[in-house]
Amino acid sequence: MSSIIVVVGIVVYIALYFLYGKRLETNVVKANNDIETPASRLYDGVDYVPAKTPVLFGHHFASVAGAAPIIGPVIAMAWGWLPALAWIWFGNIFVGAVHDYLAIMASVRYDGKSIQFVASDLITKRTGKLFYWLVFLILVLIVGAFGAVLGNMFVGDPSVPSSYLLMLVAGLILGVLIYRVKMNFTLATIIGVVMLIAAIFGGIAMPITAPKSVWFAIMFFYIIIAAAIPVNVLLQPRDYLNSWLLYVGLAIGALAALSSGVQFSAPAFTSFAPIVSGGKPSPFWPVIPLIVACGSLSGFHSLVGSGTTSKQLDKESSGLTIGYGGMLFEGFLSTIVVVAVAGYGLGLLVNAGQDISAANWGQQYLAASGAAGISGAGMFTAAYAEMVASTWLRFLPGAFVKTIAGMWVASFAMTTLDTTNRLARYTLAEIALPLKDKSEGAYNFLTNRWIASAIPAALGIYLAWSGTFSILWPSFGAGNQLIASIALLTGTAWVAKRLKTKATMALIPAYLLWITVTAAILWHMFVVVLPAIQSNAVTNTVVFIIEAVMFILNVVFIIDFVKTRNEPAPEASEA
Amino acid sequence: MSEHQPNFLIRLWRSLRAFLRGIDQAQRERVVALTAYEARELENMFVLMLLGSFAGMPSPPSFLAVELLPHLEHEIRVLNRRAESSTDALAEIMGTIDADA
Repeated sequence: MSSIIVVVGIVVYIALYFLYGKRLETNVVKANNDIETPASRLYDGVDYVPAKTPVLFGHHFASVAGAAPIIGPVIAMAWGWLPALAWIWFGNIFVGAVHDYLAIMASVRYDGKSIQFVASDLITKRTGKLFYWLVFLILVLIVGAFGAVLGNMFVGDPSVPSSYLLMLVAGLILGVLIYRVKMNFTLATIIGVVMLIAAIFGGIAMPITAPKSVWFAIMFFYIIIAAAIPVNVLLQPRDYLNSWLLYVGLAIGALAALSSGVQFSAPAFTSFAPIVSGGKPSPFWPVIPLIVACGSLSGFHSLVGSGTTSKQLDKESSGLTIGYGGMLFEGFLSTIVVVAVAGYGLGLLVNAGQDISAANWGQQYLAASGAAGISGAGMFTAAYAEMVASTWLRFLPGAFVKTIAGMWVASFAMTTLDTTNRLARYTLAEIALPLKDKSEGAYNFLTNRWIASAIPAALGIYLAWSGTFSILWPSFGAGNQLIASIALLTGTAWVAKRLKTKATMALIPAYLLWITVTAAILWHMFVVVLPAIQSNAVTNTVVFIIEAVMFILNVVFIIDFVKTRNEPAPEASEA
Repeated sequence: MSEHQPNFLIRLWRSLRAFLRGIDQAQRERVVALTAYEARELENMFVLMLLGSFAGMPSPPSFLAVELLPHLEHEIRVLNRRAESSTDALAEIMGTIDADA
């Protein structure tokens, strides 16, 4: 069954890339290689540099890949593997990939300026400002949600934190070899990969057991300190090792899923509203995009893609491969996750002594996973290891494979955490700009390097420590999907106003997404978070306020969008 | 048919090889991407030190600035462009530091 699903997934992705993506490229964007891209036209050897398509694909994919495409689908399995897979594929092909492609191409036609700039130009200046607020609020929720993922994982599998710490040491050594010793890069890579393998085995041999609160404290200081260390000492070499984990993990997973042939023990469909968020029955529509964010579509991609990718695109026809194809690649990763959990999740929970079967999967899956200590990322790592062990890849030691999967998730989640303080400082500086003239002291305080880092780190870690993961995760998803909805509507405005072509292929998913995300935020605020305030007042009030602010920003945006939709585009903004 | 199949396979293999080489090159470039970004920021500061009078900053001795000016043509172009896009840095920062979940 797993092989069939993976093959069908590959065929669907390839077919729709040519049937739908190419149509989008030809009929909507009208990509034209005779039009010079900013990378060529504005070439400066610094920011604007054309890159070959496979190289830029590598940059783009590594930038957009993270832990969320793994964790979201694991949770979405509560609806059954079919709805989870359906949203990953449908959302990927008709919404997420369209969103990423339009963001890159709008940016390309705007001299490499960001989707935020395009929104300011085509909708209102206020729309551009919304991005800062949304990104800052999401940073808090990211630290909360990913902190909780890591906390659960580190407690559930003590070999992962020790492997990760050893990997940090490997990163430090690799940094010295590359930047100080200036060793041959291939040789340094081989040493780095050997150290990575040693770190995994070392972690298995010397697991570190500590309570969750200790890990949260470590994470808090790690987030703050990571930004103070020069990037070439730790972050760059560590991220290089991460990329090996990503590609090796993806390759092993794809091979295993293709050759496993396991029958799915999890049900195809449980019910329309199983228990997913906050212990409440959660309707598939509109909640699903809050759960499966990055595996299907992600708002952050619009910023990442229009921030750096668009400045390096060598020709317009490459945009589809990188933007549309890159997103499909991420969806494929989520497909592997669904296949692994569908095949082995039930067996793992039963073996852990949980009273769960296909019949009560919808009601019990998340509760049983939590009780068994294999929720979220832990479920993925365990199912992934089982899947690999069931194939010809079984010569790889089970504990090794499980820890690779754990490190894969942990290292990407950690990377996400340590980027928050860098981003927070910048977004806070922009948000606090009006204070600069009125109260310079307050402005300087808020934008101080340490304060700006500490605010989202402290708030986020507090949420992770005191909050409920099944409430935090959809809140993060809500913010992410809200940016996606704004970016996609900005893309449709660009198509309609600048390209003056029929924007149906973008407009329908854009409106569908906006309505869905708006309904989902309201549902989450009032059905899940508000009642939960009774049991955990401070934490859930913070989450409620953050979601309320996001909702207000969303309403402000749609009012501006509707008011300006028939206005002509301003002149001379575009290249 | 027998003539087409090898061609297709060879093309497929070449595409796959080019793709994998591209991924490899991207990884190699990423190992210095953040350092390069910081170096660019330092260059920006250096140019500001020399041409800071445009932004209200004290200038270095004019003979020094004039002597260095011809070497800075490229940097001035970059500076101008970056000044224009200074309010549009969120996405670039996110792309550079891989701020994605």
